[in-house]
Amino acid sequence: MNERVWLASYPKSGNTWFRLLIGCLTLKDGASVDVNETAAKGGIASARLPFDHVTLIESDLLTLDEIDLLRPRVYEAMAQSLEEEPEDAGQAPDLEFVKTHDAYTLTPSGEPLMAGARGAKAAILIVRDPRDVVASLANHNQSTLDEAIAVMNNPAGALCAKSDRIHKQLRQIMLSWSGYAASWLDQRDIPVHLVRYEDLKQDTAATFAEAMAFAGQPISLEEAARAARLVDFSELQTQERERGFGEKPVKTEAFFRKGQMGGWREELTAEQVERIEAAHAPMMARLGYALSPRLERTG
Amino acid sequence: MKFFNVSGLVVASEIDLPWRPADAVTTPDVTIRQGETPTDLSGAVEFGPTWRIAGDQFLMRIPGIARFLLISGREITFEIEDGAAPEDVAVFIIGTVFGILLHQRQQIVLHASAVRVGDKAVLFCGPSGAGKSTMAAALNQQGYQLLTDDVCAIDLDASGTLVAQSDGRRLKLWEQAIKGLDLAERKAEAVRSRLEKFYVEPHEPTNQTLPLGAVYVLREHRPPHQEGIERPNVVDAALFVRRNAYRPRLVAAMAQKDRYFRSAAAIAAGPGVFLLTRPLAFKALPGVIEGLERHWREIGLIGAAP
Repeated sequence: MNERVWLASYPKSGNTWFRLLIGCLTLKDGASVDVNETAAKGGIASARLPFDHVTLIESDLLTLDEIDLLRPRVYEAMAQSLEEEPEDAGQAPDLEFVKTHDAYTLTPSGEPLMAGARGAKAAILIVRDPRDVVASLANHNQSTLDEAIAVMNNPAGALCAKSDRIHKQLRQIMLSWSGYAASWLDQRDIPVHLVRYEDLKQDTAATFAEAMAFAGQPISLEEAARAARLVDFSELQTQERERGFGEKPVKTEAFFRKGQMGGWREELTAEQVERIEAAHAPMMARLGYALSPRLERTG
Repeated sequence: MKFFNVSGLVVASEIDLPWRPADAVTTPDVTIRQGETPTDLSGAVEFGPTWRIAGDQFLMRIPGIARFLLISGREITFEIEDGAAPEDVAVFIIGTVFGILLHQRQQIVLHASAVRVGDKAVLFCGPSGAGKSTMAAALNQQGYQLLTDDVCAIDLDASGTLVAQSDGRRLKLWEQAIKGLDLAERKAEAVRSRLEKFYVEPHEPTNQTLPLGAVYVLREHRPPHQEGIERPNVVDAALFVRRNAYRPRLVAAMAQKDRYFRSAAAIAAGPGVFLLTRPLAFKALPGVIEGLERHWREIGLIGAAP
């Protein structure tokens, strides 16, 4: 039995960066990180192929709800290593970190989509100031800022949800930006550790080491600091420029865009900021994101 | 009973299936019946969340649709589950259930669509969503006959040549692909009432069994993969073929790894296994087809351009 930890985040909140940090832990001295190779490890919970492999059913002949009904069974099977192909995959790690943009929701039959404690032993939830997510999400989706805000404010937000085509991934119900965070923080099936993008940015080593200790794979501050140096944001940008990055949407210019904090002050209009804050004020307060003064005055 | 020719076999079925009707009524290799089907198999040694293997029996469950019991690669019994639409069962029988049966028969079966190029079969492999059917449909529009869609059984003929079996299958395409390929006129019924995926009548399907000409593994053009056609070494090629078994999990569960490795090595050393890395966009298809035709001239599947 291998142990799994979900790396849960709303899109554009630092999930890939966090996985790259983990990937650096096993790099030998002097080796440099390869963003494409390292980011791909562990995969994403919504990948279509493992579902098809484990169930033997072509997921594209099932409705989106029928797929969700089966997903808990798939995560249970994967947690029990039923899917492993030893000579292809090499030695399976004891602890596997698996990315997910799925909110922690219940299937149509009322059980947790992520299979509760049978799917993973814990979750690390990575959050980022929603005002900074806006421009990053707009860039990722090649949409306008207003469209990105509409996605984040949609209580039924979902990825890969079109019904006239096959998406590479299974549908992921994200809920709204607030709903996403609440779904993971308020579930009581598995322990969850909160990582704020901003804390990861300000003190990468300490924040990363703390999360790894929670996951049950303690590392020294020195190891964490080395990982942080290896995946410095400018290094990620350089690699993407030179070799490309496989997770970048085809039409988007760059996946690793700015990686900044507080960029929203220059990128969003006051009205856009207000729309995000009005929709997410309670969760922002809960996660320690201060509302801008204007809204505090009016609110 | 209705009789069909599928993957080199004669299949008799109580229900109509979207396969090619048999040329003549003979003793069937496989019989498909509706009847009582167990909910579990005792003594299962290999299993997944939706399936069980015990001896020569294989139980498959598609929740909310039907359960299927496959015995010795010869008999399929199925029972429709409460609330399911009976017309939803056919597409699963011709796909995953028959694919499992071919695995049970120790057949090499690839997750591939195939067209005829010259006098050979050219296969396009990949998992769901890789673009197999779209590639076959686009080539079919250019006059290449359709051999099979989605499931492709490989055999050795009497002279020891690797051959691909035709199935008289129709293409299955999503609404987006039907629009992207401008195939609305050939669109038939939905594969399931609740899906926007439809059967599409091919131009000139062929019912011949053809020697393998080439096997392409489809990949999307994304870093770190470079666009184009490349030939991997034999060891990698064999691994690519096995990963594109119709149900790779069953290759391990049914102890068929050696069998697949030997066939894959023979394909790689003979007709050739190639990685075809291209953008997934519909507008890229004409360029991809040009590249393929250039490659077919290079490897001698078609004559030099006039």
